[in-house]
Amino acid sequence: MFSRVLIANRGEIAVRLIRACHELGARAIAVYSEADAAAPHVLLADEAVCVGPAASAQSYLDSERIVEAACRLGAEAVHPGYGFLAENAAFARAVSDAGLTFIGPQAEAIAAMGDKVAARQRVVAAGVPVVPAVENVRDPAELTRHVQRIGYPLLIKAAAGGGGKGMRIVRAERELENAFAAAGREAQSAFGDGRLFVERYLDRPRHVEVQVLADQHGDILHLGERECSIQRRHQKILEETPSPALTPELRDQMTSAALAAARSVNYSNAGTVEFLLDQDGRFYFLEMNTRLQVEHPITELVSGVDLVHAQLRIAAGERLWLRQQDVAPRGHAIECRVYAEDPAQQFLPSPGTIEYLREPQGPGVRVDSGIMPGFTVPLHYDPLLAKVSVWAETREDARRRMVGALRDYVVLGCITSIPFLVDVLEHPAFVAGDTHTHFIDEHFPTWHGKEQHRLIAAIAAAIDSTRPGRHSASPGQPAAVASPWTSLGHWRLGQG
Amino acid sequence: MRLTFRHRQEPLVLDVYPEAGKYRVVADGCDHIAEAHYLDDATLLLVVDGHPYRVAITRQGKGRTVAVGGEVYPFTPESASAARHVAALAPPEIVAPMPGKVVQVLVKPGDQVESGDGLLILEAMKMENRLVAEAVATVTEVRVSEGDMVEGGQVLIVLRYHEESSS
Repeated sequence: MFSRVLIANRGEIAVRLIRACHELGARAIAVYSEADAAAPHVLLADEAVCVGPAASAQSYLDSERIVEAACRLGAEAVHPGYGFLAENAAFARAVSDAGLTFIGPQAEAIAAMGDKVAARQRVVAAGVPVVPAVENVRDPAELTRHVQRIGYPLLIKAAAGGGGKGMRIVRAERELENAFAAAGREAQSAFGDGRLFVERYLDRPRHVEVQVLADQHGDILHLGERECSIQRRHQKILEETPSPALTPELRDQMTSAALAAARSVNYSNAGTVEFLLDQDGRFYFLEMNTRLQVEHPITELVSGVDLVHAQLRIAAGERLWLRQQDVAPRGHAIECRVYAEDPAQQFLPSPGTIEYLREPQGPGVRVDSGIMPGFTVPLHYDPLLAKVSVWAETREDARRRMVGALRDYVVLGCITSIPFLVDVLEHPAFVAGDTHTHFIDEHFPTWHGKEQHRLIAAIAAAIDSTRPGRHSASPGQPAAVASPWTSLGHWRLGQG
Repeated sequence: MRLTFRHRQEPLVLDVYPEAGKYRVVADGCDHIAEAHYLDDATLLLVVDGHPYRVAITRQGKGRTVAVGGEVYPFTPESASAARHVAALAPPEIVAPMPGKVVQVLVKPGDQVESGDGLLILEAMKMENRLVAEAVATVTEVRVSEGDMVEGGQVLIVLRYHEESSS
């Protein structure tokens, strides 16, 4: 095992990684930008080094400075976390070239999965299903030859660009010719290129991904799936495992496909193979994330495997200590991502200084947090503040536990997604497990807080305002009060 | 003591009367009994009409941000003149805020009432709600009697506000 590890990240994941290093007896070296000098990960680390100004391009993304810092401070290994340099093959190579261990897969595997077209060809060769598609179609006659194979509904897209231009959904053959002509004209006028790309359109697919773990000696296993269908702006905000949609047969097929995809690039360390699952139970490879995922805690909760410990041990050369038959997921886990953003304003980021923080507690509740009172959430980075994960025996138990945890979670100083997450968890479609990637667009095209406690909050504000000397923005001296338990008497709970 | 805030564009007027270690708070025309126990400077256990709430509060000058039940409410300070305007706009018809039963009628036509004076007690959802006058007024009509079941929105009492309350 390593004795000194540099953590090339910030926020909650850096905190998570530093804790894991300490648990395995390694010293953790943090890097930070000028905006993060007082960040929790810096305070928790054994040593910390500033790698540049707030802008991530000049700090957390500056691979040269980070590798230089790792060498200078005597690190033996570098953990990239997720985001930033985590899927940058050149960074992985630079770490290795400096004689250090990159805690993740080989640079070749990162590069192979990073090129989406090449990755698709590679996994197809390994027998993994991808969304049926045909590229560079020029006329409808040519297309009809492929339609049989692709199947309706079809999605016609401009081969040359994105942004919805030239995009058409075709649900039946009689719509095909007109849609094709219109899409071609739009593509021609928008991009000067009328070539079209046609693939099967997936109506309300689920996002289901498989966690794999492979050592450097050729052994590989999976730790089951996670469903991450609840997304806003194509970013996950709530994940759960197991997926309510998977039968044991489907799980076998998907996990086998995930292992095949990982083997196709000689994968080692922790990785995730993402699929779309359609309503008929057909699944298609989306991409492979060659790193630790944000939502890894839910897999840890049901499998009992500490994925970061596993990453460190695998990177240190250990053989896998588990066999596939040893992996027996139990119960149900849900994660909610708490972002500094305003769900009532199209999820606009809402940075600020944390004035008050109370994290949820209790059986089966885990909080991975990157904030603390007094910390100013910088504008420069992803607005993820913390993740709440819960475990319980059943999905419904876990759902209720999460609702309780979120209701108990208080962050003052910036607007957070907490009340929105509660509404998602309480939506009848979520309760029924009827989740898909269009869930939020469909059920929450707009959102406003229910504000069930407006009166109580107003009473609190009014009473607080009548107390003498309560007009300062800075926290004053704690008020000397008698314990409420001795002075309060009993109140009528539930109004019997 | 009258406190005035603004919450999401809406003005809010609350009258707080300390009474025997508790507070009587008049808000939205209803009257509530509250107990406030500070656990630390920013955390309080608030008992409103017998129900306990754990509340977190931060202060921005005269503004307050309050977290309760997983929700966060920013209250910005509102000028007293704007608040008087609210009182002037107080509707002359006192309506039932929710379906319930009239427990007690506290006034009769011709009575003069002050801001905060009780008009009627309505029991709804197992809680007694005391409906109060929001400004100085004369009671012109009482349309219900004790024991009546009323619908949400039903007019219970009609007031005529006095001129000085709108100045």
